Amino acid sequence: MAVLDPHFVDSVRLDDSFNASACMNCGICTAVCPLGLEHLPREIFAYVVLGMKEEVLRHQDTVFSCLLCKLCEVNCPAGVHITENVRALRHYFDSEVFQIQGGPGDAASHV
Amino acid sequence: MSERKIGVYVCQCGGNISDYVDVERVREAVSGDPDVTVTRTAMFTCSDATQQEIIDDIKAQDLDGLVVASCSPKLHTFTFRGVAKRAGLNPYRYTQVNIREQDSWAHTDDHEAATEKAIRLVKAGIARTRLLEPLDPTVVETVPKALVIGAGVAGLRAAIGLADIGLGVVVIEKEAEVGGWVKEFGPMFPHERDGRDLIEQLLGEARRRENIVIFTSAELVRKAGSFGNYEVDIRTRGASNMTRRLEVGSIIVATGVDSYQPAEGEYGYGIEGVVTLPEFKRMVDSATGPLTHLGRPVRDVAYIYCVGSRQGESGPNQYCSRFCCTSAVHTSLELQGKDPTAHQYHLYRDMRTYGRYELLYDESREKGAVYLKFPADRPPEVTRAPGGKLEVAVQDQLTSQEELRLPVDLVVLVTGMVPRQNSELVARLKLPIGRDGFFNEIHPKLRPVETVVDGVAICGACQFPKTASESVTSGLAAVAWSAAMLKQGRAELDPQVATVDPELCTWCGACADTCPYAAIGQLDLGGGRLVATIDPSTCKGCGGCVPICPQHAISVLGYTGREVEAMIDSLAAEVA
Repeated sequence: MAVLDPHFVDSVRLDDSFNASACMNCGICTAVCPLGLEHLPREIFAYVVLGMKEEVLRHQDTVFSCLLCKLCEVNCPAGVHITENVRALRHYFDSEVFQIQGGPGDAASHV
Repeated sequence: MSERKIGVYVCQCGGNISDYVDVERVREAVSGDPDVTVTRTAMFTCSDATQQEIIDDIKAQDLDGLVVASCSPKLHTFTFRGVAKRAGLNPYRYTQVNIREQDSWAHTDDHEAATEKAIRLVKAGIARTRLLEPLDPTVVETVPKALVIGAGVAGLRAAIGLADIGLGVVVIEKEAEVGGWVKEFGPMFPHERDGRDLIEQLLGEARRRENIVIFTSAELVRKAGSFGNYEVDIRTRGASNMTRRLEVGSIIVATGVDSYQPAEGEYGYGIEGVVTLPEFKRMVDSATGPLTHLGRPVRDVAYIYCVGSRQGESGPNQYCSRFCCTSAVHTSLELQGKDPTAHQYHLYRDMRTYGRYELLYDESREKGAVYLKFPADRPPEVTRAPGGKLEVAVQDQLTSQEELRLPVDLVVLVTGMVPRQNSELVARLKLPIGRDGFFNEIHPKLRPVETVVDGVAICGACQFPKTASESVTSGLAAVAWSAAMLKQGRAELDPQVATVDPELCTWCGACADTCPYAAIGQLDLGGGRLVATIDPSTCKGCGGCVPICPQHAISVLGYTGREVEAMIDSLAAEVA
């Protein structure tokens, strides 16, 4: 039983381009992922918007395995900015987990 | 010696009949009847080609009676009355014999018996037709005025439509104020216009029209007469209690709905901070910034959908209320506009923001609202958590099936619509009620606002859950229906009604007591001789008075004692 933190999503969101909540859970992203990443992007972002911090932290490897190839994004019927959202999440790991200091622009270094 | 020239048409119904009934044997069995001039079978008697063939036969052979043995009279009585009329034959000298629903479909296991039964039924139809006299429709003048019951958004818009089409309008509203639900609303989907403004605008428009009269705190207490000529009594309460008697040609019922009221404890209802959708809409409409509830800030909100709708085995309401998904999403966007950082969680079974309203759902997700689908058999549970927050426990069906606990400040129960209890009005108008408790139309597609009560239409959400725009659409449909009847100034009524033979009647009054339509009155023939008299425009021809009469003085035209006895004799006769 996970207790949700409504404010967690605010700490991941870099700016208004973060729109993980637009997802309608169709699962196309999971189906087309060339790496077969199990939890990206649908489930991890569900954990983010729901505020399940522990679950998000547990999937650190998945977050950094993504190639940012955008195959999921171009096929997303809900217009979710998946790669931008992944970069926002990587920035969260950088600053909160690895304690790397820097502005939002530093997220680009993970491309 | 033949006295009549009857045409008999036996239908195959493309196999529906002919797979079980030997239609050729049926045709042969009646072809020797001296009163029968023409007998034919047809693949589809209702087809244009066969209808034309019947018309040609009637004209060429100078037929004076028509028997069609096919499906239920509910389907094609008017089709073949029309055929008779076009051929110059009186349409009431035609009999529909049902050898499909009452024969072929009922006896698929016994072709021989089904064929024999068809022969008996057709012979009975011929026996009746032999005795049928020509009848002419009763023509009544109609009153060019409509009564609209209920001055919500549908009723008010209908009143304006009726006035503009040139009919007089009387609107009665039970409440002290017009406007129904809509007058209580702030911005409404899809155009963000205030409900209050819409009603102000409609009321202004109505007031500008001289042929609209609106009574508030008013109820219908009596209805008499028939379609085109209703006499209604309207009672108004207040400073001056009074009853007015008015004549109207049609009645449009727009009495609206109630909001579902959750039971104590249903999804935590009764706990402080658990509110219904109308309560929440009022809170958001009146807020100027972030919400507060009972002095506490509301930052995190959970919505629970389908409360009071799609109840399955847990309640009486099996239907989807349709408007509530869109209304909840729209109201949550309204809150988002007033408090952009509020966290909103929508716990749904299925999102049904149908049609254009899908865009509101997209916008809501794009702006950060979180949508969680819960299984119908595992509804969310709401409890008061220590520290003042509410806690909603829910199973997330689409991500990981995980049990989640949401700490929130406010829980909105997205309540649906329920039929309004209007038992007195229902009894007075004899309105038909469906199994779901809403009023029933005759046909959902083709006669969507008419009821089985002649001259009485329904519109708005008293019919089934509707949005305001759908309510107005149906209100205008009821306007078109009223105008189509009343603008002609006259109406033709079915002449197959009850009549009294004054020679036989001794006025005991039993028929008047039994008539459900109050169509029977007393007539003084002079010299103290009283007899019953039946108003042909009020009588529906139900025949309820016929067996009551101890003098056998009453007959229904088209189904007289003689005609019915002839049918029974024929049915009972041996089949050769």
